[in-house]
Amino acid sequence: MSTTSLYRRLNRRETHSPLSGLAIVLAVIAILVLAYLGVESVLRLLGAAPLLAAPATLAQGVTDAPSHPAWTLIAGGIVVALVGLILVITAFSGARRARHTLTSERSATVIDNEVIASALARHAARAANISPDNTSVTVTHRTAVVHVTPASGSTVDRAAVTGAVDEQLAAYALQPAIRSRVVIDSNGKVGA
Amino acid sequence: MNSTNRGANRAVILLAGLLLLVVGLAGLAVGALPTVRSGFTDQAPGVLGTVTDALKATPLAGTGHSWLWIAAAAVAAVFIVLFVVFIARQGRGHTRELLAQTPTEHGRTVVDGSVAEQLLQDALSSRPELVGSHVSTYAVKGTSVLKVSVSCRRGVSPADAKDLVEEQLLALDALLGTSVPALIQVSGGFRVRTAGATRLA
Repeated sequence: MSTTSLYRRLNRRETHSPLSGLAIVLAVIAILVLAYLGVESVLRLLGAAPLLAAPATLAQGVTDAPSHPAWTLIAGGIVVALVGLILVITAFSGARRARHTLTSERSATVIDNEVIASALARHAARAANISPDNTSVTVTHRTAVVHVTPASGSTVDRAAVTGAVDEQLAAYALQPAIRSRVVIDSNGKVGA
Repeated sequence: MNSTNRGANRAVILLAGLLLLVVGLAGLAVGALPTVRSGFTDQAPGVLGTVTDALKATPLAGTGHSWLWIAAAAVAAVFIVLFVVFIARQGRGHTRELLAQTPTEHGRTVVDGSVAEQLLQDALSSRPELVGSHVSTYAVKGTSVLKVSVSCRRGVSPADAKDLVEEQLLALDALLGTSVPALIQVSGGFRVRTAGATRLA
């Protein structure tokens, strides 16, 4: 396997969730249900007393379903169908993780959005001449929103902040590329 | 990085979803549509009777109970085993072997993954930009791949973090005389938030 295709595979797998947690939970539920049904079958075969309900009672319960009030069937049906629909949608979803990739000749790199945001915050704060604690950056799949709270009484050079942020983003060369948006608070903060 | 079968995960989720969707819609139909309700009331006892007849027609010698119960229990057991295997297959893929050369007349050279892991971890532990690092070796499609996870301090540029890990990887290449594919994972996290920023250019 060439390293290019190997790195492409690694990047794809590291930026998407395997959905293992959900799959394991569902498998455990399935195991419990099957184990219960298996035990009831064996008890029925041996003629022993059932754990909770004999198979015949369970089947009779399903047959008697229409005897319940209509609204319980409708409500229960809607809840179960919704859970099923959410699972079906999850099975086909991208399950993307909040990460970006950066591939070079030597290695494949995956970077948490959190790290990108914190680096952008530092550079934005320096360009705006404020403390890093007064910048907040949100990085999503394709955009970075830089929120700057200026010190009261002073103005922030928007062009300088945008320039600093864009320069950093260009230097990182992330996949997929991120566009920046700078928001400067109209209300300053004392000591920012 | 690990060898989790993601297709199987999605298949299990999809099957569970479809099952619940069908059961839920059936319940909804029986509750809401009078025609379906009367149809169910007419048909269900007949189906139950057919099943009961089948059970009566297949007695197990000696007990008088049907052997279909054994079959049902066996089918349940098979599926339980399948699901247990499915759970156990999650997240595997670690390997101990970093490099294994084809044997020559003088023998065979095997480099253990811990060599690279300890060298890299030692080199990275002294860097002020990083709060922590962890190196592990995985087998991906038959190739050994190093996974270097680092957590950077607040404000460290991800490209710088990558470059400093890559520098160590190149040093490792020089040492081993060959290049091992590597994945670098740059993350933040709780330790980063509590560790605070350092003065960095």
